[in-house]
Amino acid sequence: MSRALTPLSILYRVVERGGSLVFTAVVLFSGASAAFGPAGGVVGVTLVGLALVALIAYEVVYYRRFEYDLGPETLDIHSGVVTRRNREIPLRRIQNVDISRNVVQRLLGIAAVDFETAGGSETEASLRFVDFEEAKRLQGELGRLKREGEPRFGENGNGSGGEGEGGHERECGRDTPVADELFALSPRELALVGALSFDVRIPGLLFVFVSGSLPAVSSAIPVGGSPAVAAAGLVAVGVVIVAVSWLAGATAAVLNYYDFRLARVGDELQYERGLLRRYDGSIPLDKVQTLAVVDDPLKRYFGYASLRIETAGYAPGSGEGGSEAAVPLARSERVFDLANRIEPFGAPDFRRPPKRVRRRYAVRYLLVLAALVGVLYGADLLTARSLPWPPWAPLPLALLVPVAAHLKWRHRGYWLGDDHLVTRNGFFRRRITVVPYYRIQTVIDSRTLFQRRWCVATVTADTAGSLSLGGSAAAAVDVNGAAADGLRADLATRLREELAARRGWIDGRSRAESESDNGAGGDAPDETDTGSDT
Amino acid sequence: MNRLHPRIRVVWAGQAVVTAAVVGLVALAVDRLAVDLPAWTPPAVFVVVLTVGVGLALARYRVWRYEIRDDSLYLERGVFTRVRTVVPFVRIQHVDSARGPVERLVGLANTVVYTAGSRGADVAIPGLTAGGADDLRERLKRLAIRAEGEDAV
Repeated sequence: MSRALTPLSILYRVVERGGSLVFTAVVLFSGASAAFGPAGGVVGVTLVGLALVALIAYEVVYYRRFEYDLGPETLDIHSGVVTRRNREIPLRRIQNVDISRNVVQRLLGIAAVDFETAGGSETEASLRFVDFEEAKRLQGELGRLKREGEPRFGENGNGSGGEGEGGHERECGRDTPVADELFALSPRELALVGALSFDVRIPGLLFVFVSGSLPAVSSAIPVGGSPAVAAAGLVAVGVVIVAVSWLAGATAAVLNYYDFRLARVGDELQYERGLLRRYDGSIPLDKVQTLAVVDDPLKRYFGYASLRIETAGYAPGSGEGGSEAAVPLARSERVFDLANRIEPFGAPDFRRPPKRVRRRYAVRYLLVLAALVGVLYGADLLTARSLPWPPWAPLPLALLVPVAAHLKWRHRGYWLGDDHLVTRNGFFRRRITVVPYYRIQTVIDSRTLFQRRWCVATVTADTAGSLSLGGSAAAAVDVNGAAADGLRADLATRLREELAARRGWIDGRSRAESESDNGAGGDAPDETDTGSDT
Repeated sequence: MNRLHPRIRVVWAGQAVVTAAVVGLVALAVDRLAVDLPAWTPPAVFVVVLTVGVGLALARYRVWRYEIRDDSLYLERGVFTRVRTVVPFVRIQHVDSARGPVERLVGLANTVVYTAGSRGADVAIPGLTAGGADDLRERLKRLAIRAEGEDAV
């Protein structure tokens, strides 16, 4: 049975698009009446009227042409005013169903629905707009149809989960999807999220802005006269920058995470959040690639942390500062508890890098400091000694270097669990990444020139998660060289074993086959001179 | 452990010559159009870039190794940052073999292995003979299908 969009969508779309049309028209109109007198005004009004009529006609036709149908196997969409388009999307390819409503849409009771698949970066299909109840119905119905389709899909043994140790939990919700609330953000936590959110991008932007106007500022400083005034000005600028970034971060966080709740429905996670614009989305559990627990010194001190859930291909809300399927802030125990309910990895017991790497970090920081002092000396020479402080001013920072090196070392580490690799990195932004072995794609062991000198290596377990591009892949940094060799081999073996277990293969059999092939195939695929190693 | 075909050094050295020539020409242009540099600068720039480039090409060849193991493809490469990559056969999405113009000139080819990963998503093995690249592609394809095919059993 095909359905249409809600009639209210005509009104909303006309107002949405007509608004900008009228605005441009007013600008043109005032220009025209100034140039041609009253006659120009009449022509302008007529033109705007015609355009509005055309717009309304277009939106009415769009509404009449738009039909969608959620069938047992596919989602069919027929649309288009000028170009007609019929699109069929197989249900099991749909990963996420996202519903969003801004303030006006909520008053009208309508919602925009986006269907995302793992394939492309762009949204596969979107409905602009349907009733909110209809949107929720679609979301629930899609989950139900996918669950029904799953046994058929599972027979192909596509390894989409279900057989693992999480299987019995998933089965509970197969026929009667009961929403099991995993997490709800209390008002107190929301206030904390706001208070602890510091938008780090703002200082950067302000810095660019301020340095753009630096000539003006520096020309103003000598007028003030004394270096004390200049220093006071700098402090004031710093305070303003911090306050603005903090306010911006707090506002964004509160708007984003107002009334955040995360629930498990069958084998999907569903979340809701947002004050002005309300988001409502779903993530299938078997698409979850990695979990990350993120905190910073402030959060650690008060015992709080946040959780991110990364899925393959599509990162919910990656465009607006943080994954939507993330718990913005909660007590650390609660975060680890929740993470364990999604991926049961246990309590990690991290192994730190060898102690000698602390010296490596210290050397690195000292080099940075030396470079900074060098740059200041250069600037001092070029500006004819007009810097308000001596160029060696940052040197006392060297006293902090051992502390910084120690802290960096302390917050690093990795742990091999029964089914998961857990890595930990970073002091100011500490990130604990949990990767199930069977999600590993490739294992990369890299050693820079400096790392080779210290005989350490970085072992990265790459997954198909899309956020990993930002350098967030699970990496065991500065592992002892020999341990890294072992880790590399170990991770590959565990991946194979986990996959074999999850897919129900007989482990010994695949092993024997591989070996027989190796013997028959030989190792030299071409005439490269083997054996003439260094 | 397999090494690359020795002739890959010719390809990489050729690339170094091209880079050196471009940088040398830029130096020449700067000399003629903008700042007066000493007359020996453009040739010196060319020679320095060429030496570094050829040195890197030779070093790269000395470091490069690959191996087809029981259940994974293993690569070792990198002059400054030594990178060792393990690509399990189950994770191979598809395999290409390709030949660039310079490679065709010296009768070489390369094989590219794609995974769904985000940073090691495509791994290229350069410096194979044309037949060798096709063989490797076929062999990896077979191994990948078999690794995945055990699924159906």
